[in-house]
Amino acid sequence: MRLNAQNFKWIQLVLLLLAAAWIAGTTLFTEPVEGGRVPSPRAGFPAPDFTLTTLKGDTVSLSDYRGKVVLLNFWAAWCPPCKAEMPAFEALQQAYQGEDLVILAVNTTYQDDLSAAKEFATSNGLTFPILLDLDGKVSNDYQILAMPGSFFIDRDGIIQEVIVGGPMSETLIQTQVRNLLAEVP
Amino acid sequence: MLPILQIGPLALQTPGLILLFGLWFGLTLAEKLAQAEKKVDPNTIYNLALTGLLAGIVGARLFYVARFPDIFIRDPLSLFSPNTAMLDTIGGFVTGGLAALIYGQRKNLPLWLTMDAFTPALSVLLIAFGLAHFASGDAFGMPARLPWSVRLWGEYRHPTQLYETLLAAAVALIVWPRRGVMQPAGIRFLFFIALSAFARILVESFRADSALIFGSLRTAQAVAWIIMAISLGLASTRLRQPRDGHSMEN
Repeated sequence: MRLNAQNFKWIQLVLLLLAAAWIAGTTLFTEPVEGGRVPSPRAGFPAPDFTLTTLKGDTVSLSDYRGKVVLLNFWAAWCPPCKAEMPAFEALQQAYQGEDLVILAVNTTYQDDLSAAKEFATSNGLTFPILLDLDGKVSNDYQILAMPGSFFIDRDGIIQEVIVGGPMSETLIQTQVRNLLAEVP
Repeated sequence: MLPILQIGPLALQTPGLILLFGLWFGLTLAEKLAQAEKKVDPNTIYNLALTGLLAGIVGARLFYVARFPDIFIRDPLSLFSPNTAMLDTIGGFVTGGLAALIYGQRKNLPLWLTMDAFTPALSVLLIAFGLAHFASGDAFGMPARLPWSVRLWGEYRHPTQLYETLLAAAVALIVWPRRGVMQPAGIRFLFFIALSAFARILVESFRADSALIFGSLRTAQAVAWIIMAISLGLASTRLRQPRDGHSMEN
């Protein structure tokens, strides 16, 4: 069939009706799942919750910080870029004291040397919580395949940015944090 | 799913690599086809894409910097950081689109013939998008136990990324330039848009990450239907034009 304006009119109509029928059918007969309900370690999705113990022995859950901006970082003492960005996190911690910002640094203890991690945190005067992922479950939930890995989480617990690799520049960290802090709670 | 390709100390983002390869491969094919069709100067395909892309990247960074000038003043070298997290997507699209438009105007490029020449590149890019989604695990499907289900995010699901890829390949096959087929300028591009929108309407029904409006209507389906109606309407007016793409340009 040769395509011309006359027969195209019918093809156009059939296609549009078919599409409209498909939309109506699937809207009525399937249960749509609104995006964002499934916790997943990706931008736009709720951050998977976890509970871990800190170097000081406290128990911390991510959900404790709902309503605050969270910078969640995965690191190891054997990873030079991980260690290189820690001073920037500490500077951030000091600069934003009293604001709704929480820095959580998850040490991948299951594949790290705990004493080396402790020594690093002490000698660098890190004041934010260092969490210990002893069995690797949290790292697995966050699909940490390369380190460091950082997640910028907004006040609603939604991941807004994922940074794989590092070290991150102070500019990158600060602009991301300020962006999230500026959002109305 | 392979979101990150670890090569020694390098952590490469697989979806980004697939998209870059798709862009390069698509543009190369489009250039070769333009050479064969002799309707648009093949060099303009690359130049136009490059202009839009470069202006888009620069614009995206400048729009981002404009939001945090005090931070960038303290560290001006960050202006040149390769980190894509410091880009403003909307700013990038606006700047890239404007730059491409200005380039096209200055070179007096025929709009519809240029869009037709770009269609093969866009078709390949859409296939690459599907594969990139498969690599990252984005655009994932609803839970389903089917022989072809994939295990993703803790459940067996519709492999919507593969549906997306296959439909994009089918659309590419339909709109791919063929020897001896004469169509009014713009038809190839408009069919590509309409069929891609139709494909999105089909795939969206199986996705589990849809945004909803009016209760349970999937936003992407509503938007895709409108895009489909507009592009088919435009195609209808173009079909009233003479068949020789050379002689009927706007």
